[in-house]
Amino acid sequence: MKGSHALDGRHHVDSLLMRESLLDKDLVAATDEHGPLVRMLPEARVLKIGGRSIIDRGREALFPLAEALGEALATRTLIIGTGGGVRSRHVFSIGLDLGLPTGVLAQLAIADALGNAHILGTLLASHGVVAIPPEIFGHLLPFFVKGAPGVIFNGDPPYSIWEHPPPVGRIPPHRTDAGSYLTAECFGCKTFTLVKDVDGLYTADPKRDSSASFIREIGVSELRAKHLPSLPFDEILLDLLERSRLMTRFQIINGLKPELLAPALDGEHVGTIVHAG
Amino acid sequence: MRSEWQGELLSELGRNLVTGSLTDPELLRQTAGPVQRILPDANVVKIGGQSVIDRGRSAVFPLIDEIVANLPRHQIILGTGAGTRARQAYSVALDLGLPTGVMSVLGTFVSMQNARMLHYLLAKHGIPFIEPVQFPQLPLYLVERRGVIFFGMPPYTYWQENPLVGRIPPHRTDTGSFLVAEVFGARSMIYVKDEDGLYTADPKKDKNAKFIPRITVDELLEMDLQDLVVEGAVLDLMKNSQHRRSIRVINGLVPGNLTRALDGEDVGTLITVD
Repeated sequence: MKGSHALDGRHHVDSLLMRESLLDKDLVAATDEHGPLVRMLPEARVLKIGGRSIIDRGREALFPLAEALGEALATRTLIIGTGGGVRSRHVFSIGLDLGLPTGVLAQLAIADALGNAHILGTLLASHGVVAIPPEIFGHLLPFFVKGAPGVIFNGDPPYSIWEHPPPVGRIPPHRTDAGSYLTAECFGCKTFTLVKDVDGLYTADPKRDSSASFIREIGVSELRAKHLPSLPFDEILLDLLERSRLMTRFQIINGLKPELLAPALDGEHVGTIVHAG
Repeated sequence: MRSEWQGELLSELGRNLVTGSLTDPELLRQTAGPVQRILPDANVVKIGGQSVIDRGRSAVFPLIDEIVANLPRHQIILGTGAGTRARQAYSVALDLGLPTGVMSVLGTFVSMQNARMLHYLLAKHGIPFIEPVQFPQLPLYLVERRGVIFFGMPPYTYWQENPLVGRIPPHRTDTGSFLVAEVFGARSMIYVKDEDGLYTADPKKDKNAKFIPRITVDELLEMDLQDLVVEGAVLDLMKNSQHRRSIRVINGLVPGNLTRALDGEDVGTLITVD
């Protein structure tokens, strides 16, 4: 071990970053200069099925979508995240009333998305596609998708009580859209699709404002500049997209039109595409 | 299927949450409000990896003695840094082009090793090491044993956000420890490092570096320093925090500093939001 402790009293291991402060700006910037990132699952498609927008609708929405998922699974590897839907909203409202912090709300919400993962898993069980427990999902994901055509997980990232307090209010900012996106980004997957109950992004909420016009494709900066009153996806996705390395875009599609699913999974433009930049 | 919930909901806010959009700023504003302090007597103390633990017994043994001496008067949740082995693992990962999320997994393992080592030194005092899944037992251990040790990395693993610049996980052990202090409404967040606190430059490299005893987050961000004594993410999170509005950075190589910090004395650097 050449990095001796005679130099500064600390026992070092020789390495590029030895003795360095990982908080030094130049050092941090230099880490971008390495070669291209490894894509662990370049052929897998990640999608997030909305909780309130799709799963809470029950049979009318979920049966046709499950059928489309089953067909898509025949030729594609799918990693399917689920939202927590109305139960998460309810547990947030009780938790807020009790004065519980953001981290606790994030921990509680995991159970709702996991329940929905099991609901979807029941419908896709005949394809060998089931809900994977979050404790083993990340580490074993490449293994699972070699043995099965796809997996289902609770879309939440495992932030739990380590969730970040948001700038406004107390709702956990990293919810199931974010967790599903981060899965696609880290594993270097082929596409990331948000399956909601709207055709994509509008200049206003199309359910409330009939003059809302459709946005077919938009970049993060342009979207931020529009200051839309609400978005059909977790706002933190914009921050994450700005920092993307591998998954530099996502598409929102209408899950009530199941025929859009397969083309979206293959990267065809059938909803709204939001891209970095 | 949604309407059947309406009558069951506790409040107007509950109705708005079930029917509204969580990206609506007006709705989000309604969710602000007083938050419980879950563990108001606990102090979160993070022991630096490269700065303290990698120095071995000369730095660690006196600190362990000081921690034990303080337990009768102070509840302590100990977090650990990673240090030089994480730097080695990150270096290999960078060379191979591994994503930030994988680097986060690697850093977790190193901070876990450090937690285990400190745990064995504290074991005879009945101090348990807990992994994230064991956090529900933390309040019992604090009351029964006055202390508990965990690995400082937040358990984000593959779900670690990318940094804006570079590839090193931006949320590491300073951040994980801070978030424990914040979510539990802890009494203090103390970072034990090998410098007296914050300087205008890295004092290990620049002899002209000036000591800063007290500073606000905004002042600190405005200085736009080349190097920082805590992860930048901690400063960002502090601005949004409900409870943990200050952090203290002390030199753990100086005996008595940790005791003074736990007693609320002005030692090291105090970084505040307000």
